[in-house]
Amino acid sequence: MSYLVLDGVAKRFGKDEVLKDASLSIEKNEMVAIFGPSGVGKTVLLRLISGVAPPDAGDIRVGGESVLGTSPEVRETGVAFQNFALYPHMNAFENIASPLRARGADEAEVKRKVQETGELLKIAHVLHHLPRQLSNGQKQRTALGRALVRRPKIILLDDPLRNVDAKLRYEMRLELPRLLKRFESTVLYVTQDYKEAMALGERVAVLFDGRFQQVDHPAAVYRSPRHVEIARLFGDPTINLYPIRPTKGEGGHEVTVLGQTLRLKGRAGLDRPCLIGIRPEDVHVEQEPSEGSFPVELDAVTPLNVRTVLFLRTKEREEVFATCSESRGERFGRDHRQVHARVDFEKALLFDEATGERLAA
Amino acid sequence: MHPAIRVVLLTLIGLFFLFPIVWVFLMSFQTNETILRIPPSLVFEPTLQNYTALISGRLETGAGVLELAFMQNLWNSFVLSFCSVALSLLLGVPAAYAFARFKFFGSEDIAFTLLSFRFAPALLVLLPLNLYFQDIGLNDTYIGLIWVYQLITLPLILWIVRGYFEDISPDIENAYRVDGHSWFSTFMKISIPLALPGIAAAALLSFIFAWNNFVFALILASADKQPVTVGALAFVTASGIQYGQIAAAVVLSILPTLALALYAQRYLVEGLSLGAVKG
Amino acid sequence: MATVAEGVRKPPRRSFGESALPYLLSLPALLVCIGILVPFVTAVWYSLQRYNLAMPYLKGFIWFENYKILFTDTVFWHTVWVSLLYTVLTVGIELVLGLTIAMLLQRSSAFNNAMSIALMLPLMIAPAIAALMWKLMTNPNFGIFSYLLSLVGVTDFRWGSSPSSALFTVVLVDVWVYTPFMMVLLLAGLRGLPRQPFEAAELDGVPWTFVFFRITLPMLFPYILTAGLFRMLDAIQQFDIIYAMTQGGPGDTLMVFQVQAYLEFFTYTNVGRSAAILMVLWAITYFLSHQFIKYWLRLRERARGVA
Repeated sequence: MSYLVLDGVAKRFGKDEVLKDASLSIEKNEMVAIFGPSGVGKTVLLRLISGVAPPDAGDIRVGGESVLGTSPEVRETGVAFQNFALYPHMNAFENIASPLRARGADEAEVKRKVQETGELLKIAHVLHHLPRQLSNGQKQRTALGRALVRRPKIILLDDPLRNVDAKLRYEMRLELPRLLKRFESTVLYVTQDYKEAMALGERVAVLFDGRFQQVDHPAAVYRSPRHVEIARLFGDPTINLYPIRPTKGEGGHEVTVLGQTLRLKGRAGLDRPCLIGIRPEDVHVEQEPSEGSFPVELDAVTPLNVRTVLFLRTKEREEVFATCSESRGERFGRDHRQVHARVDFEKALLFDEATGERLAA
Repeated sequence: MHPAIRVVLLTLIGLFFLFPIVWVFLMSFQTNETILRIPPSLVFEPTLQNYTALISGRLETGAGVLELAFMQNLWNSFVLSFCSVALSLLLGVPAAYAFARFKFFGSEDIAFTLLSFRFAPALLVLLPLNLYFQDIGLNDTYIGLIWVYQLITLPLILWIVRGYFEDISPDIENAYRVDGHSWFSTFMKISIPLALPGIAAAALLSFIFAWNNFVFALILASADKQPVTVGALAFVTASGIQYGQIAAAVVLSILPTLALALYAQRYLVEGLSLGAVKG
Repeated sequence: MATVAEGVRKPPRRSFGESALPYLLSLPALLVCIGILVPFVTAVWYSLQRYNLAMPYLKGFIWFENYKILFTDTVFWHTVWVSLLYTVLTVGIELVLGLTIAMLLQRSSAFNNAMSIALMLPLMIAPAIAALMWKLMTNPNFGIFSYLLSLVGVTDFRWGSSPSSALFTVVLVDVWVYTPFMMVLLLAGLRGLPRQPFEAAELDGVPWTFVFFRITLPMLFPYILTAGLFRMLDAIQQFDIIYAMTQGGPGDTLMVFQVQAYLEFFTYTNVGRSAAILMVLWAITYFLSHQFIKYWLRLRERARGVA
């Protein structure tokens, strides 16, 4: 029996049906990242779970029992709000102490636990400051501390790294999973950054169109997305997508993509317009022609720390993104020039163009 | 504009608006003889006799001793204004919160109607009330007046405070609920403290309006419950030509609101600008 | 564990306390105000009756007879005329003067801020008391203003006690008390205006008349409208200043709506006619207050958007 279950949850605001039929099961002490573009109702979902707002339909169960109709203060959730939602008139200590005080903890216990949490989050030295005297990073840690301090069974983190600077975001991305493991809680982590979702979630739940479209391990979501939209959302630069019209040939369907004709063996559902998706890392660019390569123009080279993004054009003026290691990238220089590309078509993904659903391999 | 013109203009404006206050203030420290002196002079022997007469409540004139109830008026003004504002806060702050946070059936219409009370002709309510008050036994009580004073203080508090509640992020309140606090404790520990500047501005402004009100008490208050506004007018009729005492009475009745205004000017501007500025 | 049988299951309603909360919070305030609605309804009822306290035996329902008498009565039309004149004069002068002061104090400096606070003081004084102060200062025997006029040779100016200058006198007191209100709101408006148009105009060397009429005034218009409507609502109902200064006199010179209604009630004990006069006034203020509230809410939204 899963610990936290969302069963066909729906929520609308006026005419806007934000959540239509969201179902998700989370195991005890699991950390699930909820990923989706902005405005798909990720935050709304957390509000429903924490009890701040009621769903219009569906059920939310914790430990097998429905929590609908109970007020937020009796649900054992800790929430870190995206905008921090710190109490501006209380110092960081009192902000973090709030959940303890609500349960009537005695002064010594409050002091000990807040101090402990402060040290864990490296904000012990600023606990006496008011929120407006804190840096963004410190605010974010205070909000986190308030969500964690009483070790709730369920922790809901609403894009907690969105409003902090890049360096801190990177650090926290490494630090958070380690930290959260110590708490033995079930964690829902909302983010609109796919890398964050992959780095932090033991499983990633992809939300859009009011439903969870795919719930799977991070690598699986990346490797075999169930929907073209998911393939598009995961990956930077985004996956190369081309419409294809498979034609029936001997021994399977044939398609022409990027001027190359290939044979698709044993794939079902190829009797309709499709999209083929090629991850940039599956496009290998070389100076010299080789087996299976075709000539392309190199339009732009953009180094991105450890990787380099190459922007290519085929003879037919189709655009292709490719990535390669930085050291290889350096060799291409920055000039516009003729190079050769070889595509790992084995790893290409096929989608139904009309529905966006992935066609099984 | 030339700076010199500017200075001249501002001086003239300052003179027009402040001179009457200064003049009456000076008058209140003069005897009738110096007041009546022609030409008037800024140089005089200041005397406190006007104030001592008002405070002791006994005015010795050539015709005899006059009993003055002016200190009672001052006290009445204080009781009426203070209690009206306190009651309005008690009633108005929760209602303001309800109108700010919940969209419930008829909420906008009700809020609108409450505000329009502020703008209805006062006599429309006061004249019928004048006929009722005796029947329902409110004619000689503070309670009756405080109730009617709600017409002045309640709409003001309701609408100013509502704006401040609307400015508090609901997430801050949600966070406190999720922490495990009840609705009531969230209201008391989060919403009220964060709206406090607005509550202070509204309370200050409505106190001044209540203090300055004239017509409510003129029609409804019995002699021993009259505030200074009505009392000062009655005093003019009673004391006739005791101009020094009249000036002193004026000073005593405007001093509390002037002092309050200067002390809390920041809130005053916020309240008076009808929400067009926020401090 | 039972699974969901139906496709969509309705969640249970929120607890009673939670959904009743807004009503519980606003109910006490409502009750107090509903108590005040009772006399209002009574007033409507009175206005349809022949009701004179001196002649209670004549009391009876007469439909719109009171209104008919009013509308054919020159005394009533005089009341309407004086009220409108008073409103137009006070609001007009206060707007111009308030805007002038606000523009003089626009730049935020220590002196200007102190000045704007000092200028607010008359607004803190009860209008009835303010009238009393001016009565003292315009007293023919020792009033400082009477004296100042006599210095320039005017000895027969009788301020509030002459029909020719009574209106001028009460308008002067009204202006003295309420101009600061206009100043506060317009100053807030001026200081909240975006700077770019003014800076651009200055760079282009545009004459100040153009800047004032084509930039300042249009941008300030929502504030002017709100402040003007707010003051009109008060001015058309003015009672305190006029009653304290002249009790509507001399003669019927200053018989505005509420003073007229007051005297009808207390002097002539004609409750029905008094109520009818007030109902006419109420109709005017009802219309004005709706306009005011509309523009005011719009202004508030704007202010919040900027903040």
